[in-house]
Amino acid sequence: MKIVDIQNLVFSFSSTSEPVINGVSLSIMKDEIVGILGPSGSGKSTLLRLIAGLEMPWQGSIHVAEKPVVSEKLFIQPEDRGVGMVFQDYALFPHMTVNENIMFGLSRLPRKERKPRVMEMLELVKMEEFSERYPHELSGGQQQRVSLARALAPKPNVLLMDEPFSNLDADLKAEIREDLRVILKKANITCIIVTHDRQDVESICDRSIVFGQREEVMN
Amino acid sequence: MKKKLIRRSIRKEFNGWWAISLIGATVILLPILFVFSSLFFKPNENWFHIREYLLGTYVKETLLLVFSTGVLTAVLGVTLAWLVTAYDFPLKRFFRWGLILPLAIPPYIAAYTYRTMLSYTGIVQATLRNEFDYQMNPEWLNISSLRGAIFIFTLFLYPYVFLITRAFLEHQSASFFENARLLGRKPFSIFIKVVLPLSRPAIVGGVVLVIYEVLSDYGVTSYFGIHTITTAIFQTWFGMYDVNTAMRLAAWLMLIVVGMFIIERLLRSRQRYHLPAKSRPLAAMKLKRFSAAAAFTYCFAVFSVGFLIPFVQLIAWTALTFDEVWNDTFFTLVYQTLYVAFISTLLIMILAVIVANVCRKQSAFSYFLAKWVTTGYSIPGAIVAIGVLALFIGLDERLAPLYAMMGMEDAPLILSLSIVMLIVGYVIRFMATGYNAIEVGFEKIGTKYTEASRVLGQGVTKTFFKVDLPLVKGAIFSGFILTFVEICKELPLALLLRPFNFETLSTKTYQFAKDERIHEASVSSLIIIAISMLSIIVLQMINKKVKE
Ligand SMILES: Nc1ncnc2c1ncn2[C@@H]1O[C@H](COP(=O)(O)OP(=O)(O)OP(=O)(O)O)[C@@H](O)[C@H]1O
Ligand SMILES: [Mg+2]
Repeated sequence: MKIVDIQNLVFSFSSTSEPVINGVSLSIMKDEIVGILGPSGSGKSTLLRLIAGLEMPWQGSIHVAEKPVVSEKLFIQPEDRGVGMVFQDYALFPHMTVNENIMFGLSRLPRKERKPRVMEMLELVKMEEFSERYPHELSGGQQQRVSLARALAPKPNVLLMDEPFSNLDADLKAEIREDLRVILKKANITCIIVTHDRQDVESICDRSIVFGQREEVMN
Repeated sequence: MKKKLIRRSIRKEFNGWWAISLIGATVILLPILFVFSSLFFKPNENWFHIREYLLGTYVKETLLLVFSTGVLTAVLGVTLAWLVTAYDFPLKRFFRWGLILPLAIPPYIAAYTYRTMLSYTGIVQATLRNEFDYQMNPEWLNISSLRGAIFIFTLFLYPYVFLITRAFLEHQSASFFENARLLGRKPFSIFIKVVLPLSRPAIVGGVVLVIYEVLSDYGVTSYFGIHTITTAIFQTWFGMYDVNTAMRLAAWLMLIVVGMFIIERLLRSRQRYHLPAKSRPLAAMKLKRFSAAAAFTYCFAVFSVGFLIPFVQLIAWTALTFDEVWNDTFFTLVYQTLYVAFISTLLIMILAVIVANVCRKQSAFSYFLAKWVTTGYSIPGAIVAIGVLALFIGLDERLAPLYAMMGMEDAPLILSLSIVMLIVGYVIRFMATGYNAIEVGFEKIGTKYTEASRVLGQGVTKTFFKVDLPLVKGAIFSGFILTFVEICKELPLALLLRPFNFETLSTKTYQFAKDERIHEASVSSLIIIAISMLSIIVLQMINKKVKE
């Protein structure tokens, strides 16, 4: 099953500027982990934002889990797309604890099931003992885990990660890369990861798409 | 093709937030449009009379007042700002904020305080007569003149220029000034050749605020018997109940405002005033004995005349009349003032938050919406007041059949006699104060938390209450205080739009002063000053926070 299906997407930030995304088509199958590589400014982050519904394309369409989320006639709001996202700087809500951050996305779950789901997520990212902390009391790597748990908690159809390692130092990176692949596979999630680093792709992804040049590489 | 995309955008963006914003914006713009619409009505005799015999004087005195005050506040504000940033002298740290204090005394309060102090029975002449047996020519001390008004406005409004220029200079990199020093420039020449040109956008920004205040003023000018367009608008209404002529005058005043706006743009010459990024600030230079004494004397003189003397005088008068004034009627007055100010501020903040939230997503349309709801601040109070008045009278005429149906035939004026009119006036005039504070708050947090919340499944409204609101509540709070204080101090709108027999602290103070019951005016004046100081304290706190 195609979880994400993008057809002929065109986007620019204003009607006068060059398109940032120009006629992109791609599809992602269920349970795939796909890396998107490409030079800075090639529109990788923009593509994720288009999938999430944070920007609106000029042309083309996107389907998520075989339902159209945007076309020339239709626009589904981000909250109704079933797409999860881990932001580059994590964007953990500073006024909420780790628990509350993860709980935030669970408002559509029956009240009784929320707490267990948060516990499950904390366990998945091994952050149980930090549940009462505030984001500014966590290290960069810990923040990233929480942010991942928060995005996974509502069970999205697809998870989007924008440069998940850019805020971490090199030692940490190797360690977390391995963890991430384990977590993603355990969670059984389809995932698109944007990155600069070919090594990220090699160690985590099943397949990669190179942006900026027309080339698709199989791992 | 295009049309389909536009329809999709509207469907995507349009929601309750936009609807409320557009309604609010319409309410804000209507009275102002109403003022302009008067130009298309047939003018009546009053207007011809005014145009023939009086308009020339009105325009001349208004312009004289504006230009003299503008120039003098610039001189005072900039020299003081440069002194407290570039030099070290006794009490300099105190003057850094003490010189803002004159802003806490509304000019109309200063005007009656000084006029009384300088009158025949006032402390100045009495002391000279009794202690030194010297009879001064009363004409020298006659402050009820254009000169007097310029004096009052300069001393009590210069802090606008001082504040903005000081902030600007404190953020400038030291290298500008040090280079000039190394090149062997004398301090005075550095001031003229480097400081003045560099801080021009800041100076112009401050002077523009001063000019808006002067154009808005009714208290000082009417008390001193000066004929400006604003006083003329009031006289036409209070004297002849002629709304249409008053609106024509307002349209003329608007023309002057637009002129100022254009001059401002030209003077800034496309330099926008903004604080540059953090750099090594200028180290203050220690002044030697004589210069230190001179700098101290200058600052202290301005501080005394602009704050200390009138403040102490008001306290002395209060001591005389406190027991007479401090009673239940007075409490009611204070309560009414605070109550109306509170309701108006609340409405302003709610609307400001909604509009600012809508305008976070940048587009040409949101840019206009933001400009649009904040226009009231650059429009003198008298114009806003007369526009609101005309609008409400018009509404009452339209609604007359409805009133009749509800069995109120004998009450043809409902809305225009109610407190609603004053509140609408306040909202229009002071929207910008609240809005700007909130906009800064939103800019600081950016949009990432909002986006994260949306992707996590919360709609616009839930996101607002769970994420945006808690994160900008500090900005909302300071915006609330600043707006609240402005409203408590406000005079012209309150005078014109209040319901019959409804008094606020400022209208009562003005009334007392007008009736020469000066001592009784002092208690309410002191309360207004105390409230104003609150906003200065809040501003200081924000500044401190920004620094950290
Ligand atoms: N809000 C914006 N307004 C206008 N242009 C923008 C905006 N955001 C990004 N751009 C431009 O769009 C292009 C693509 O940006 P994008 O952030 O998608 O690139 P990227 O591939 O993620 O780069 P990086 O690897 O540096 O993160 C860039 O040229 C950028 O300058
Ligand atoms: Mg990017």
